[in-house]
Amino acid sequence: MDTKKIVIDVKDFSFSYLMSDGEMQKKAVENINFQVCKGEFFCIIGANESGKSTLCNALVGLIPHFFQGDMDGEITVLGEDTRKSTVADLTSKIGLVFQDPFNQLTYTTTSVAEELAFGLGNIGVPREEMYRRVNDVAKTMRIDHLLQKNPLELSGGQVQRVALGSVFVMNPQIIVLDECTAQLDPLGSKEIFDVVKVLNERGITVVMADNDMERVAEYSDHVLVLHNNKQVTWGETREVFTNLDFSSLNLNPPVYVSISKKYINQGLWKKEVAIKEKEIINISREILER
Amino acid sequence: MARKSVSSYINIDSPIDRLHPMTKIVAVLSFGIIGFAAPMALAPYVVLLGLIVISYLAKLSNKFIHYVIPFGIPLLVMLLIIHGLFSAKNVTTLYDFGFAKLGLEGTLYAVKQVGSVLVFLGAFFLLTATTHPGKLVTAFVDSGMNPKLGYLLLATFQIFPQMQMRLSTIREAQVARGLEVEGNLLKRASAFLPLIGPLVMSSLMSVQERGMTLETRGFGSSNTKITSYIEVQDTAGQKTARKWLVIATIVVVIGSIVYRFI
Repeated sequence: MDTKKIVIDVKDFSFSYLMSDGEMQKKAVENINFQVCKGEFFCIIGANESGKSTLCNALVGLIPHFFQGDMDGEITVLGEDTRKSTVADLTSKIGLVFQDPFNQLTYTTTSVAEELAFGLGNIGVPREEMYRRVNDVAKTMRIDHLLQKNPLELSGGQVQRVALGSVFVMNPQIIVLDECTAQLDPLGSKEIFDVVKVLNERGITVVMADNDMERVAEYSDHVLVLHNNKQVTWGETREVFTNLDFSSLNLNPPVYVSISKKYINQGLWKKEVAIKEKEIINISREILER
Repeated sequence: MARKSVSSYINIDSPIDRLHPMTKIVAVLSFGIIGFAAPMALAPYVVLLGLIVISYLAKLSNKFIHYVIPFGIPLLVMLLIIHGLFSAKNVTTLYDFGFAKLGLEGTLYAVKQVGSVLVFLGAFFLLTATTHPGKLVTAFVDSGMNPKLGYLLLATFQIFPQMQMRLSTIREAQVARGLEVEGNLLKRASAFLPLIGPLVMSSLMSVQERGMTLETRGFGSSNTKITSYIEVQDTAGQKTARKWLVIATIVVVIGSIVYRFI
C-alpha cells in the first residue's frame, strides 16, 4: 500500500450538521482516518446512521460546500484540499452516485444520451467530444440500447446505470458510490457491482459504501468499518472480515465467513477463513473429499 | 416503473419539426399579432387556414383540428351570446329573438376575438408539438439566455410526470393500508387529502439530492461556457424568413393603426 500513490487522504475528519434551528447536531462522523490508493476498490461498511453517507459527501466536497456544519480535520483528494476546492472543480476528479436512482436524474432531458451529457455541457465539453464520450460510456454501462429512451421510462436498475454513467462520463479518477444498490433487486445490484468492477479494472479508484457483505468481500481490496459515527477499523478486506466481531456492530458477516468459522470451530478446517464464494466451495469440497 | 413526460412534443419528422425553434417562436408571435391586429373580422381565420396547412406539413392536422375546434366552438357560442346579443356597440340588427336582438357589430367583434384566440392557441400548439423542449432551450441559450434559467425552463416541463409518479406511489401505499379512493366525488376528494402531506414532504426531501446531483455534475461551474448535446441548426433562409415575419407584423400593426384613424 505504501508504494502506491495515495489519492484520498482523510485525517482526523469530524463533522456535525447545522440544523435548521441554528443548533449543531451531534457529530455525524468523528475522528475518521484512512487512505485510499490509486486503482483500489475501497468499501465503507456500517449499520444505518453510522456516518457512511456523511463520509461519501465529504469525499466529493459536498461537505463543507453544500452541507453547512462544523468540520474538523482534513480531506485531500488527488492532492487538493476539499475545503479549498469547489464541488464543480472536484467534479472532473471525483464523482458521486447516490442511493435513490430517480433522484439522480436532472429531469431536464428527454433521452438517456442527453442525461449522460448533462455534466459535460456544464464543464464546456465540445459537442463532438460529448457524442464520443456518451457512446463510449453507454457501451461500458451496457445502456447503449437505451440511449434514445426517455430516462423516466427506465427501471430502477437501468436508471442507476444511467446515473453511474453520468458520473463516469466526466472522466473522474475516483468514483464514490453511496449505497447505490440499496434500492435495487439482487440482479440490478449485481449488474452495478459488475459495471463498477469493470471501471475499477480500467484504473478508476472506487469508494463504495455498501452493506451487501458478500459482494463487499468479493470485490473490495480494503474496507473501512464505521459504528456509531466512529471508525472501528480500516484495512485489507480479508484481514478485517476475518477478525471483525460483526454482531457487536449490528451487521451480518458474509455467509461464507460464518460457514468457514463454523468449520474451524468444529475442527474441520484449520487454515484461513473464507470470505468469497469460490473459497468456501473449495474448502467444503476439500472437507468432503477427506 | 415507467414514467412519461408531459411535454407536449410529438416526435414526428417533418419540415416543421426541423425548423429552428426561434423561427417557430417568431412565427407564433407574428401570426398571433397579425390575427389580433388586422382590422377585418375574418383576418384571424385566414391565418388559421394557414396554420391548418402548416399542421398538415407537420403531419399533425388531425391533432390540430381536434385541439382547436373543441376549444373554439364553446368560446364562440359564449362570446356570441355576450357580444352579439348584449354589446353596447350593436347598431345593425341581424336577427330579432324577441327577448334580445343579435347585433352585427357585436357578432363581428365576437368572431374576431375567437379567431384571434384560436390563432394564438393553434400556433402555440404547433410550436410545442413540433419543438423538442431541449432544442427550444438550447435555442434560447444560444440566443443569450442564462443557462441556469434554461435549466429552470426545462425542469418545469418535466416536473409534472415526477409529481404524478410520486403521487401514484403514495396512492398505492395508502390504498394498501385501506384508503378508499373509488366512489363518488366527495369520497374521492376526501381520499385526496391524505396523499397531499406525503407528496409535499417527499418532494421536499428529494430536492436536496437533486441539488447534490446538479452540484456534482458541474452545474455550479462558473468558469466555462456551457455547451449542449443537442444541436440546433439555423439556416440563412430561416434567418431571412424571421426578418420578413417581423417586418410583415410591423406593417400589419402600423396598417391597422392607420386604418382605425382614417
